[in-house]
Amino acid sequence: MVLTALLVPALLVATACSSSDSGSGTTTPATAAATTSAAMTQSSPAGSGSAGSESAGSESAGSGSAGSETAGSEPAGSGSATPIDCKVQASGALQFYTDKAAWQPDFEAMNEKSNADCGLSLNFTGYSDSAQYDAFIKQGFQTDQKPTLFTWHTGDQLKELVDQGYIAETTDLWKAAEANGDVPAGLIDNYTYNGKQYCVPLNVAYWVMYYNKKIFADNGLQPPKTWDEFTKIADTLVAKGITPLHQMNIIFEFVWYQALLMGSDPTAYEGLGTGKAKYTDPASVDAVKKWYDMESKKYFIDPGVQTDPQTLLKTGKVAMAYFGTFFTGQLTSVGMKSDQDYGVFVLPNVNPSVTKQQVALETGPLCVGAGSQDEQAAMAYSAWWMGQDAQQAWSDKRGDISFNPKVKAADPALSALLQDQGNWQIQKRWLEATPNPIYTVASPAFGEFVTNPTDDPMPMLTKIQDAADKYWAGQ
Amino acid sequence: MTTVAAPPTTRTKAEGPPGQRYSWSARGFATPALILVGIVLYLPFVWTGYLSFTKYSGVGKASWVGIQNYRDMFSNPEFYNAMLNTLYWVVGTIALPVGLGLAIALLAHGIRGSFWYKLPFLLPYAISGVAVGVIWTFILQTDGALTEALEFFNLPGQDLRWLLDSPLNTWMMIIASTWQGAGVNALLFGIGLASIPIGPVEAARIDGASGWSMFRHIYWPMLRPLTTVVVGLAIVGSLKTFDVVWAMTKGGPGKQSETLALRMWKSTFQENQWGLGGAIAVFLTVITVLAAGLYLRRQLSESRSVV
Repeated sequence: MVLTALLVPALLVATACSSSDSGSGTTTPATAAATTSAAMTQSSPAGSGSAGSESAGSESAGSGSAGSETAGSEPAGSGSATPIDCKVQASGALQFYTDKAAWQPDFEAMNEKSNADCGLSLNFTGYSDSAQYDAFIKQGFQTDQKPTLFTWHTGDQLKELVDQGYIAETTDLWKAAEANGDVPAGLIDNYTYNGKQYCVPLNVAYWVMYYNKKIFADNGLQPPKTWDEFTKIADTLVAKGITPLHQMNIIFEFVWYQALLMGSDPTAYEGLGTGKAKYTDPASVDAVKKWYDMESKKYFIDPGVQTDPQTLLKTGKVAMAYFGTFFTGQLTSVGMKSDQDYGVFVLPNVNPSVTKQQVALETGPLCVGAGSQDEQAAMAYSAWWMGQDAQQAWSDKRGDISFNPKVKAADPALSALLQDQGNWQIQKRWLEATPNPIYTVASPAFGEFVTNPTDDPMPMLTKIQDAADKYWAGQ
Repeated sequence: MTTVAAPPTTRTKAEGPPGQRYSWSARGFATPALILVGIVLYLPFVWTGYLSFTKYSGVGKASWVGIQNYRDMFSNPEFYNAMLNTLYWVVGTIALPVGLGLAIALLAHGIRGSFWYKLPFLLPYAISGVAVGVIWTFILQTDGALTEALEFFNLPGQDLRWLLDSPLNTWMMIIASTWQGAGVNALLFGIGLASIPIGPVEAARIDGASGWSMFRHIYWPMLRPLTTVVVGLAIVGSLKTFDVVWAMTKGGPGKQSETLALRMWKSTFQENQWGLGGAIAVFLTVITVLAAGLYLRRQLSESRSVV
C-alpha cells in the first residue's frame, strides 16, 4: 500500500517534471525553431534593437492623431471601458500571464507607454512550457484568483473557455476597432463565438514563403506569380541538386495540406473547419495527391533533418521555407538580413481560377478573465492595445508586423509583402480552424504522411474524417 | 527525593501504561508527517483514480462516465502500440544499461584505480534526460553525426533513418538512455563487488575457478541483493519512460514511438481528455506495482531461502 502511494505521485511528478524540463529543452538551439509557441516566443529579441530608435519618433508623432480617430468612431452605450478613454482605475499593476516568457522585455517596455496613456501597467508572469501554462490558466479559473489578462490560443481552445463563461466579452471593442480600421477584414472570425467577440488580438502571423535570395539569383530565378512558375522553380532547383522546400513531421506537419487545399479550393478548406466539407471530399483528396506528387519529385527536405529551419535556409540546405511571419525574427537571430539575404513572397494559388490570393493567418489572443480583479481596467488596456499608437510601438519594439493595418512594418521584406494585402483572402490557419478532437487525429496522421508519403491518401483521410464525423455529430 | 519521584507515578496511573503513553506521543509527532503524506501522496492518487472514471477536459465540471475511459483505452490500437514500446523499454533497459553496467563493474573490479575507469561512464548521469535527448538527436538525425560517420568509413547502415522508422527509433532511444544510465549501474555493482568478502573468492580461486566460472558461481550469487535493487529500479524507471522520448521524437513520427507515460501525458494535456489520461495513469501504476512487487517478492524470498 505504501509502495502504491509512493509510486503514483512519483509517476505524476516525474512526468510533470519531465514536461517542464522539456519546456526548457525546446529552448535549446537544436529544437527552438521546431516548436510552435516556442518558435513564436523566440522569434523576436534580435529584431527589437534596431527598431528602437524609430519607435521613439513614431510613438510621439502618432499619439495625437490616433487618439482623435478613435474618439470619432466610438459607439456609445458600452458599459465597460472605451477605446477613447483608457484611464480606468486599477487596484495596482494588472496581473498578466503568458506562455511567451521570452517576450518579457517587450511587454515591460510597453508599460511605460501604457502608464503614460492610461495609467495602467502589467505585472508580467511568463511560462515557457505551453502545456503547463494552459493547465495553469484553466485551473486558475476554478479558484477565486481568476486570471485578469492573459494570452491564449484561438480556435477550439478559446471556445472551451468561452463556453464556460470564463472570458469577458469584447464585442464593443471590436465594433470600435473595425469602425476605426484598426483590424483587417477577416481577423474578427478568429475571435467570434455565437456572434459575439471575445479577447483582442495580441499578434498575427501570415503564412508566406521565405526564400534564399542568393540561391534564386545564382539560378536566375524570380519569385513566382503563378503555381506553374512555382513548380518550375522547384524543378529547376531539384535538377541543380538543391532541395527546394523545408518541411517538418511534427508541429508544422499540416502546413502543406493547408497551403495546397486552400489554394485549390478555398470553400472546401473553410468547410473543413465548420463540418460542411469532408476530408474525404475530392478537393481534399486531390490536395493530398498533389502533396504526394511534390514529395515524390523530391521537393522537400527529409523530415529527419532536425536542424533549425532558419539555419537550413541560411546555409542553402533548402531554398524556400513556408512559415508564419514570425519566422522573420528567427532569420534575424541567425544574422540573415531582410530583403538582402532573404526575401518573402506569397505562395501562389494552386488553382489559377481562384481569384483572391489565399493567405493563412494565425493569431494569438489577449484575453480578459470574466469576473477577475480589475476586469474593467483590463478591458481598457485591451482597447488601448488595439489602437494604432500602441501597436506601432509594439511592432517597433518586436520588429514584427502588427495586425493593425495602419501600423508600418519596419522590416523591408514584410512591408513590401503587406502592400498587396488588399488582394488577399485571409483564411484561418488549419490548426486553429480545426476542433481539437479532429486535430489530435489529423496531426499525427499528417506527420506519418510527411515521414513516409503514400500514393493512396484514402486510409489517412478516412481516419481523419471518422474523427470529424464523431466530433460534428456531437455538436 | 520521594516527593520528586511521585508525580510521574500518578500521571502514569492517570494515562495508562508507559507503552501506551509512548505510543500516543509518537502518534502526535507523526501526525504532521502523515498529513503531509496524505495531501501530497495519497490525495493525488485518489484524485487521479477518481478522474479516470469521469469525462473532464480541464475546465468546468467532471462528469461521471463509469468505466468508459477504460473501455476506450483498451479498444484503442494506439494504446497497444504505446504498451509495446514500453515493453521494449523494459526489456531494453534491463538488457543494456543494467547488463552493460554489470560488465563495466566486473571489468573494472580489482584493477588499481578502477574508479577512474568507471568515472567517464558515470558522468552522463549528471545530465538531465532532456539534454541527453537533444545531444543524441544531433547524432541520430538524418545527415546527423552517425550517418556521416558511417558514410566516411563506408560502412553499412547509411540509409537507415534512425529516428524516423519504428521500432528502430525506440531502440536508438534506449541506446541513448543506456549511454546515460549504464554508469550509475556500474557504480552500484561496483559497490556490491567491493562488499563481497574476500574469503569465498580466495577459496574459489584455490579451487581453480576463474573467468566465467568465477562470475557464475561466486560473483553472480553474491551480487544478488544488489542485482535485485538495480533490476527493480530499472523496471520501474523504464515503465515510466518519458523525457528522452519527448526530447527526441515527441512520440513520433505520428504516434509510433510513444510510451505509456507519453500517451498519458498527451491524452491529458494535449488532447484534453483528463479522464482517459487518468485511466492510463492508473493502468501504468497497476502494472508498475505488479511488476516491481512480484519481482521483489520473488527475489527477496529466494534470497531468504539462500540464507
